[in-house]
Amino acid sequence: MDNLVQNINYQNNSAELQKYRKDSLLAFQKQGLPTAKTEAWKYTRIRDLKNDDYQPAPQVNKTGGKVPFTAEIIEICNGYIVSMPKTVSGINIKPITEAAQYLGQTYKAEEYPFAALNGYYLDRGLFIEITGDLKYPLILNYNMVPEDKDYFYHFRNVIICRQGAKAEIIEQFNYQGELKSRYLANIVNEIRLEDKSVLCHYKYQNEAFKANHIALNAVQIAKDGKYESFCLQKGANIARNETFVSLNDEGAEAVVNGAYIMNGWATLDTTTDIYHLKPHTKSSQIVKGVVGGEAKGVFQGRIHIAPDAVATSGTQLHKALLLSDTAEIDVKPELEIFADDVKCSHGAASGELDKEQLFYMRSRGIGEDEAKQILIDAYLNDVINQISDETIKEWFKSLK
Amino acid sequence: MNAPLLEIEDLCAEVGGKSIIKDFNLTINEGEVHAIMGPNGAGKSTLSYVLCGKPGYKVTGGSVKFKGKDLLSMSVEERAREGIFLIMQYPVEIPGVPSTTFLKHAVNAIRQHRRQPELDTMEFLKLVREEGRKLGIDNEMLKRAINVGFSGGEKKRMEALEMSILKPDFAILDEADSGLDIDAMKIVAESVNRLRNEQRSMLIITHFQRLLNYVVPDFVHVFADGHIVKSGHKELAQELEQNGYAEYVREK
Ligand SMILES: Nc1ncnc2c1ncn2[C@@H]1O[C@H](COP(=O)(O)OP(=O)(O)OP(=O)(O)O)[C@@H](O)[C@H]1O
Ligand SMILES: [Mg+2]
Repeated sequence: MDNLVQNINYQNNSAELQKYRKDSLLAFQKQGLPTAKTEAWKYTRIRDLKNDDYQPAPQVNKTGGKVPFTAEIIEICNGYIVSMPKTVSGINIKPITEAAQYLGQTYKAEEYPFAALNGYYLDRGLFIEITGDLKYPLILNYNMVPEDKDYFYHFRNVIICRQGAKAEIIEQFNYQGELKSRYLANIVNEIRLEDKSVLCHYKYQNEAFKANHIALNAVQIAKDGKYESFCLQKGANIARNETFVSLNDEGAEAVVNGAYIMNGWATLDTTTDIYHLKPHTKSSQIVKGVVGGEAKGVFQGRIHIAPDAVATSGTQLHKALLLSDTAEIDVKPELEIFADDVKCSHGAASGELDKEQLFYMRSRGIGEDEAKQILIDAYLNDVINQISDETIKEWFKSLK
Repeated sequence: MNAPLLEIEDLCAEVGGKSIIKDFNLTINEGEVHAIMGPNGAGKSTLSYVLCGKPGYKVTGGSVKFKGKDLLSMSVEERAREGIFLIMQYPVEIPGVPSTTFLKHAVNAIRQHRRQPELDTMEFLKLVREEGRKLGIDNEMLKRAINVGFSGGEKKRMEALEMSILKPDFAILDEADSGLDIDAMKIVAESVNRLRNEQRSMLIITHFQRLLNYVVPDFVHVFADGHIVKSGHKELAQELEQNGYAEYVREK
């Protein structure tokens, strides 16, 4: 088997966890790494992960990724937890190994090879239980530090929003120095929203230029729960941010938005899979990309509406701006509708920067590059403006 | 006599593979206002785009000097920074870019070129609001994406605002009066007159003599089939208004 499955000295090796890891390994071995023939991965080719050099990332205690607003911050480096906030009202944060009874319940391990692999390594991560109304956003600051070797790390979070709870969680992926290794960051977030709870989940993916970043957000939403997400991807060589949402009861709602900006030679993948299981559920997706160089943007979006799920609405829009002739976009929207009285739509469009607009700006003295940047900003702001928190919205505008 | 600001000699240009500007000659001195009138499709807008360097407009012959420098070798933005400004016949809508943001980028790009310090947000807003007020452009309109959903008249007033703020040395007004009601035309004409001085020159393209009653030109030219076929003074505009272009247009 691949060197991706190595023997590990787990910190916590309880019988329950041993069983979970074993099941996960079986699920992974059944599938193996995705190949060109794997339908769910047909646009995003996993390249060099079987390389013999990949090793578990060593423990390093660096911090980074400042934000210009007040927040509760958890520092994570090379997949190790470096520091945590002291007690925060409305939230319990524990190691993931204490969430054994919740593991693997939000997605099917046999459909997600990387999540299965993540399960095999399960040892580090966070069990975040939100019980109240969080005053400040909680930030998970993931950091990688420079090394010559190719490392991998696996990180798992279980996030539970208890009934009526409300929180903002930001995940931030950064690196330090000149990071040229092809590390793999493999993240799984298992998220449950209980009745009437609200979770705003924001993510900034700014990995080093040769990195592989694979993330699964598996979200289960109960009655009147609301999940709002936005993910900005602008780093890594191969990155996939995948969101699986199950709207399990009436009034459940999900917003799954994203933006990506890529130059050079990279693949940025946004994959969504949204299940409307009950009537009166709602989902919306807007993803916008800006792709230059020889980069490739991938959007796969599925909306599934179960037979009983009447009076639901599911909308999806993907738009991309191509900055070069060699940039590529692959889009696969899928609507599976088995109910009546459903409002569903999907749309996709891609184009280039508008020449008339560029000329107009330049004719007023604005330099060509600056003019392009203004147009790109405007293009992306359109989706960033959907973020409900003003401070975080402005922060994302400054990041892109 | 004032020094020449713009010297166009034997200019020939084509667009879409079609020859439009044919041996065009015109010299505009500092402080002069010239008006160009001519039938639809004669090439007036093409001339203004060629002077601004719009991509797709190909110069096939002749030369243009601006302040003694070779204009044709400059990029679009260099020309603007050197002091050329075009009020476009069809201003472009840019969704998602607020008018103020757009104007701030423009004004600072030009100030930087002139080695003037950039305006900070407060200074800039003060300037835009002041100039905006004179043109009947309120804060609400300034916050909107530039030209998006603006009425024809609002677009022209926004163009006039850009001109007032950027203070070009040479302004081309390509049908700045089209789509304007009588009051708006006066407002725009006043903004043009405010800019008028000993150094600044203008080229006014129009179909109607009315604008020229407010902005009185030093010269009026008839433009047909790619070049000037007759030049005169203010009275020529009145004559054209009465008789049309029949005597200047070749039978085809
Ligand atoms: N991209 C293009 N391809 C081909 N022909 C073009 C192109 N752009 C302009 N033309 C033609 O060039 C000619 C001159 O157009 P122009 O817009 O300069 O005329 P104008 O004098 O400004 O007319 P108007 O008074 O109607 O504004 C027209 O016949 C027009 O159709
Ligand atoms: Mg015209």
